[in-house]
Amino acid sequence: MLTIILRSIIIYLIVLLVFRLMGKRQLGQMQPFELVLTLIIADLATIPMAEVSVPVLHGIIPLLTLVVLHFVLTLLTKTSTFLSKVVSGKPVIIINPKGIDYKAMKNLNLSTDDLFGALRECGYFSIDQVQYAIMETNGKVSIMPKAESAPATNGDLKLKVDESFLPITLVSEGKIMNENMALAGVDKEKIEKIVKSQGGSKIKDVLLLTIDKTGSSYIQLMKGEGKSFSLSEVKA
Amino acid sequence: MKIFHYLNFAIIILFLIAICILEEVMVSSSLRQTQKDCFMIDASVERLESVKNMEVALMVDNLEYDWKKNESNMCYLVNHKSIQEIGQEIAKLKLYIASDDVDNFKVSIEVIKFYCHSYLHFMGANIHNVL
Repeated sequence: MLTIILRSIIIYLIVLLVFRLMGKRQLGQMQPFELVLTLIIADLATIPMAEVSVPVLHGIIPLLTLVVLHFVLTLLTKTSTFLSKVVSGKPVIIINPKGIDYKAMKNLNLSTDDLFGALRECGYFSIDQVQYAIMETNGKVSIMPKAESAPATNGDLKLKVDESFLPITLVSEGKIMNENMALAGVDKEKIEKIVKSQGGSKIKDVLLLTIDKTGSSYIQLMKGEGKSFSLSEVKA
Repeated sequence: MKIFHYLNFAIIILFLIAICILEEVMVSSSLRQTQKDCFMIDASVERLESVKNMEVALMVDNLEYDWKKNESNMCYLVNHKSIQEIGQEIAKLKLYIASDDVDNFKVSIEVIKFYCHSYLHFMGANIHNVL
């Protein structure tokens, strides 16, 4: 049993390394060859885990070979458009201004139910609202709505709004994010002051504290509701 | 960062090459050593026409020692079940020495030689194994 436990730990670490080397794509974002690779990796990893007579190397070697293969294939698809089309396919327009492209749908093995499901997922419940629908190489459907159905943007309404900035997390679950303090230009003392000004007694009481470039902040204590405030409200 | 990424893959490729060479060298040398020991035992048995003697017993001990040493190293690279028959046949040889069973002794030696030959073929990278 100890052997199986140790083997499982080794294989787990190797699979972790393999996925880290392969990148951070999620299941829905995978290209077809990446999905196949993931399924094979899952299967390969289980063999040496359970079968003690099989050397761990018999699991590790194919895993590493697949990683190298994936790396080479990714490199090739990046450099060659033709190869990229062969391996990953190309986006296909399934709805155009004339309506549904039935031939394209048949080629993709897509039913009208699948199509309507994909449209609904994108927030469009009628085909009248859609100008173009494109089946991407990862299986997702991208929609370009008709002008009258497209949501109005600030630009359309000619509204002048301030640029928004990415909030930086300073405290998460009672822990200070040290690497973010320099980005936000604050120190530990300043964070303690912010926490006290917002009703907390110490940093450990804070569930989440974020700040953005404009000084707009958000805090939620472990026991309490979240609230937005401006950094300028905090006394120096 | 990109260099680090390429470096990772270079290390993996080198590791894979090293493992392939190590397997080829270790497995073939171990099996050839066992085959060689068997041929020597075979020759001695032919000459002495008996297996219950010190010379054959020492040779079998030597074969067993070499095999155990090689087997433990090979287990890192080869499925243990694929090579355990050789160990079993070597254990039988000792029983045949005790009962001076020349015929069965010869059969076991032939079986070991056959397994070694088969594994040498089975473990190498050739078109039959790949396909």
